[in-house]
Amino acid sequence: MKYIIETRFLHWKRHWPSLLFWLLIPLIATIGIAKAANAVTDDSKVPVGIVMEDESDAASELRNEIKSTPFIRVYQLEEDVALYRLKKHQLDSVFVIHDGYEEEIREGSRNRLLTSYRSDLSFAYTPVKEMILSYIQQETGRSKAAYTVQELIGHYQSTKQWTWDEIVAKSKEIQSEQDLLKTSFSFGDTENSSQNNDAQLFHIWGLWAIFSLLSTLLLFDWIIHEKHASVNVRFAFMRYSFKHYLVFNFIIYTVLCFIVDLLSVSIFSIIFQEQISIWSLTSFRLTLSIAAFLMANLFRRQFLYYTTAFAIALIMAVASGAIIPNTGMIQKWPWVDMLNPLQPFLSGGSANLATCIIMLFSIIWYFRKEEIHA
Amino acid sequence: MLNINSLSRHYGKKEILKDISFSVKPGEIVGLVGENGAGKSTMLKILATLLHPTDGSIALNNLTYKENRKKVRKLVGFVPQDIALWDEFTVEENMVFFEKLAWKKKSKEELKQLCLDMKLEIWQDSVKTLSGGMKRKLNLAITLIHDPLLLLLDEPTVGIDLKSRKEIGSYLYRRAKKEGMMILYTSHDMDEIISLCDRVFCIGNDPFYQEVLQESGKEVFKL
Repeated sequence: MKYIIETRFLHWKRHWPSLLFWLLIPLIATIGIAKAANAVTDDSKVPVGIVMEDESDAASELRNEIKSTPFIRVYQLEEDVALYRLKKHQLDSVFVIHDGYEEEIREGSRNRLLTSYRSDLSFAYTPVKEMILSYIQQETGRSKAAYTVQELIGHYQSTKQWTWDEIVAKSKEIQSEQDLLKTSFSFGDTENSSQNNDAQLFHIWGLWAIFSLLSTLLLFDWIIHEKHASVNVRFAFMRYSFKHYLVFNFIIYTVLCFIVDLLSVSIFSIIFQEQISIWSLTSFRLTLSIAAFLMANLFRRQFLYYTTAFAIALIMAVASGAIIPNTGMIQKWPWVDMLNPLQPFLSGGSANLATCIIMLFSIIWYFRKEEIHA
Repeated sequence: MLNINSLSRHYGKKEILKDISFSVKPGEIVGLVGENGAGKSTMLKILATLLHPTDGSIALNNLTYKENRKKVRKLVGFVPQDIALWDEFTVEENMVFFEKLAWKKKSKEELKQLCLDMKLEIWQDSVKTLSGGMKRKLNLAITLIHDPLLLLLDEPTVGIDLKSRKEIGSYLYRRAKKEGMMILYTSHDMDEIISLCDRVFCIGNDPFYQEVLQESGKEVFKL
């Protein structure tokens, strides 16, 4: 094996820029596209101005609540600046949180807490206003509930005394822990794959899987080059048969790709807080490398192979569910999912019918009788 | 010693080689001549273990081909008619590449000396930039890395200049006579065959080659 690695380095010495490019393209392209998509999503958020006359904790919580809403971008401004920008239609709407907001909430009052402004082009004013109103209603309700609890403590002469702040804090704690109502959107069969709260426009692993598929196919083009080279005849008189030379090189490439895969997992975990099971990743890498190896063995001309590789990557991008959801197609033709080699990886599993077929073909390839150099 | 007994090879119904028997002693250089399609390359491929004979037996140093294919291959060197090199590699890289995969290990100095013995004095140049003669020399040098006992050459000097041809010829002669290497050689160049080979075998039915060689006083055998 050591000698095969050394001979492989002789090849890589000539082609290291392209080798490095295709090894890193899934990682770089996924980060690039995901970041670009997020930047576009950020730019397309509705700009809303907030004027903070009250600097209390309750007012800050309201501001943070609005900020955490997807598809709303909050600008905290002075009132005159905010209104000027609203007139210029740089803001969709403006909300002024008046001084004394917290006191009013504590007293359970919901009147004149805020002043809102909109222009004749404000299209998101109503939903933003409704969202703020529902939040205020929730907070005043919580305050009223706290007073009621205090009254009950007094009524039943309990030894434990709770302040208004303690009851409100406990209420918020219970709310965050118990999550009474939760709505989440995810790809089919991926409910356990991610706990990320930041909405990604693309399914990171789906995007990465498509680029990995393409890069693996293109990295295995050495098979076409070396299988049809004139030096082939020499392997009959070498320590390794050509078949074993191919198999050892397949292992070298697979290990190299897997190292880069692990690097990608670490980087995605840092950047996108995305995780994946190592077993699923190993199975995916093995399936992909074997498929690329077998496919390259079928071709004589590199150009035709490259064309086919791009075509396969495109078909998988459209039909595999890696980028575009394919739920409709799967409902109509469930067998498509069984024949989709990316499906086990995208669903966090390890194998499906496609994996078994690829493994079967690899066994047939290994044990079939060699036609040349008998 | 190479012993060939009643060797035959058919391609379908077509009989290429029929009942061929001969032997080659250590240090002997044997020429194989005949018209195109007579079966010279088929003969060499069978002796190189790349083709199975339809009938007959072959033994190299008492190792029969049928039972000891892998062992025989360690003792055989085959120089194909086409140049079998990595074009994008240098001379050095080609030598190192095949040494890594060879049965016998050689140092870089030994590999370089092998090239120098054949008057292949450029080491760092890319194969793409080499002349036809240089490529042929490198093609032969790679085959000799594992010091084969039986060297089979399929028109090794085709298309190269006279100087390179003479250099290759005299190198092969030295190796055969000094180290007892058995050499089987096919060529259409009668001068080369006459000057280099100890014995010549004519394959096929065309009497032309036999007549030309007999005129030169060379010992010629019909196969």
